[in-house]
Amino acid sequence: MIALAPQLRGAAPGARVLAGLLSRVGVAVAQIVIVAIGVFALTALLPGDTAEVVLGEHADDGQVAALREQLGLDEPLNTRFLDWAGGILHGDLGTSLRTGRPVAEEIAGNAATTMLLTALTLLIVLPLALWLGVRSGLRAGSRFDRSVNFVVVLLNSVPEFALALLLVGVFSVQAGWLPATAAGLSGWSLTAEPAVLVLPVAVLVAKQLCALARQVRTGVVTANAAEFAAHVRRAGLGEREVVLRHVLPNTIGPVLQQLARTVDGLLGGVVVVEALFALQGLGAGFVEAVRARDLPTVQGYALLFAAITIGVNLIIDLAARRFRAGGR
Amino acid sequence: MSGVIGRRRLLAGVAGAFAAVPLVSCSGGTGSSPGRLRVAFPAGGATESLDPHTGSLFVDQARAKALFDTLVGYADDMSVVPRLAESWQPDPTGTRWRIRLRPAQFHDGRPVTAEDVLYTYRRIADESTAAQAGSHFADVDFGASKAISATELELVLGAPNFEFPAAWGAPATEIVPAGTTDFTAPVGSGPFRYVSFEPGKPAVFARFDGHWSGPATLAELEFVPMEEESARVNALLSGQVDYAHDVSANSVRLLEQGGRARVFSAPFGTMQALLLKVDRPPFSDPRLVRAVRAGLDRRALLDIALSGQGRVGNDLFGAGLRFYPADLPEPARDPELARSLLREAGADGLTWELQTSTVDPYFESAAGLISQQLGEVGMRVTPRVGPSETYFSDIKKNGVASLSRTAALPVPTFLGQRMTSDAGSNNYTGYHSAEFDALHAEALSTADDARRADLLATAQRLSREQSGMVVWGFSGWNVATSDQVSGVRGAPPNSLDWARFDRVSVG
Repeated sequence: MIALAPQLRGAAPGARVLAGLLSRVGVAVAQIVIVAIGVFALTALLPGDTAEVVLGEHADDGQVAALREQLGLDEPLNTRFLDWAGGILHGDLGTSLRTGRPVAEEIAGNAATTMLLTALTLLIVLPLALWLGVRSGLRAGSRFDRSVNFVVVLLNSVPEFALALLLVGVFSVQAGWLPATAAGLSGWSLTAEPAVLVLPVAVLVAKQLCALARQVRTGVVTANAAEFAAHVRRAGLGEREVVLRHVLPNTIGPVLQQLARTVDGLLGGVVVVEALFALQGLGAGFVEAVRARDLPTVQGYALLFAAITIGVNLIIDLAARRFRAGGR
Repeated sequence: MSGVIGRRRLLAGVAGAFAAVPLVSCSGGTGSSPGRLRVAFPAGGATESLDPHTGSLFVDQARAKALFDTLVGYADDMSVVPRLAESWQPDPTGTRWRIRLRPAQFHDGRPVTAEDVLYTYRRIADESTAAQAGSHFADVDFGASKAISATELELVLGAPNFEFPAAWGAPATEIVPAGTTDFTAPVGSGPFRYVSFEPGKPAVFARFDGHWSGPATLAELEFVPMEEESARVNALLSGQVDYAHDVSANSVRLLEQGGRARVFSAPFGTMQALLLKVDRPPFSDPRLVRAVRAGLDRRALLDIALSGQGRVGNDLFGAGLRFYPADLPEPARDPELARSLLREAGADGLTWELQTSTVDPYFESAAGLISQQLGEVGMRVTPRVGPSETYFSDIKKNGVASLSRTAALPVPTFLGQRMTSDAGSNNYTGYHSAEFDALHAEALSTADDARRADLLATAQRLSREQSGMVVWGFSGWNVATSDQVSGVRGAPPNSLDWARFDRVSVG
């Protein structure tokens, strides 16, 4: 990553770049708005509402109607949407229909677990993918290259839940080395028992490693075979220099794009992993909110997920653009 | 939704693969300290509260049972047994009930009094509470009901009901101290007292030494939320929890094989039924309901959909329970009869949709098998999978046929809340019969037990002929514990011994 810095410093931010940046940010904001409207509409189309879910199987019509009125669910959908959207503009995500607590609080309560999982996963995936990718790229076709390829493709082809169950079966149930679930721990309390994080993070790493490592490898193979690499080698630069200063930086663009997809993939994977390991994170919270037809909370989560995905893609797009503008 | 089914299936498959491997070493896990029992339940996340009257999930009921007490409990056959109520006596009309309470105290040392009971039942009956058991107390005249002394009260009903004591043991009728409105750190009179709880997170309760039936065996009880069934099973197998609630038939073999876990099954805790709406076409034609009944192969449904665990249903709720007419013959499949009834009704090739969902693990295979069996007699049935979270309200309102299940309840309660004309939308099959209503009302107003049983049996036979409730089976209800746990038995959901932890010990 250090090799990136000189390249970025090379480009001066001109007016054209600024305009491009602004329009790219504008697109991102529009995307978030569209996601918000879409999710609101889709959730409203689901059969049933909070009143029915909260009261459960045995409620009679009168009870449901009373609760519906109490929650304001008898208001027309567009009124409810406008109320909600108005709140968002003031930075208010609204109030959960189930718990009566602010949506932001509900989400924050679950965010720590997911952040921890995601951060740990990225911390392991990034260096590991880089190392594996560079090493197998430089020795394309070698036994190392082929074994890495075999393993990462294998891991990638097993669905998250199957991999999770396999790992739990072997390492928890049979060997007894690691806890099978997080058993009620959540947020920062997880760090007090780091062993519970090993298997969930392993599953997430296994799923995300493949694409990233292969992307790095492809970039390294291409760059390594390119004329400029041959040129600097002929100029007498050491192999380490060649790789770090010339080959690797030229693979960064596509790798960054892949990194954006990794973050998207992590958000998806975390839903499955949280369920299987009984972790109370954003994925579990989101699923719960959908189940309860808790529109404001569902919307809050949808906005957050959209903002993360769109934001990460935006940052990486811009970084990649800057890199292209100033590179080579 | 089908994705979820697929995943569940595969989970079971993977779990099954492990069952083939002998389970060797035993894990310490993060485990339990002696005297603390960790129990895993599917939970409701942020929605949860410790208000015993509003929860509708099993975990809500289990926590309520630990913290609070009810006036009576249900034995396995759903007959009532005394708890906080020591004795009770109706007047000859069945509208005035005098209840005597046993000496008992709340966790803060205050005695449990008649005022507490009145406050509790008034709160449950109040519509603004949205209490699950509201309808049980809708008929109580709270103006006329009163405390006679600290330990004696009189409840007055608008209509005679000699089965009224069943209401006092219904889920979500736990007695709370008079005036309680806040349940963040509740005070009850149950065998465990509140220590800590946050919605969606574990709850810890400690033994209450002053409980009227003597202190619990356990020092502490911890509820650990685990939505996924595989998480509960794995947590149990690896020693992270000591008790797993609601274990599927698929996991039973896996659990039993290792010898480290024990499975307890309530033999037929849950009714499995196909509900046909008789208040709209096509099943407003009784011949078509009879055709469905005759076309079903219940034995095959039991063997395949329920993996052979349970028993064949006889189109009536409540096998094994008090007031269930056990003398009716088991229905046999009669494809010829089914075909001729279809022809007679001019409905050859009748096409309908069967609503189903993942809400019950047995629905999916039952739906497939039912459409196949009825296909053989000339009906085209298409299963349609709906969302599990609103499934029961959906099938009340929409469609003509659905799969449903109901846990054990007293038979008169079930008949009153599901089959009578004033049951509203809870009468899933839209069955309306003045004759049935009259029989049910007469039974409730009959003081003599034997005569009441006769009337209820007649009412049930009638509804069996006329309603669209096709009970094809009764499924078992499984919980599992580690081999370190004793004092658990297989009890039907809603009964006193179900999810009861005060007589359990660990280690």
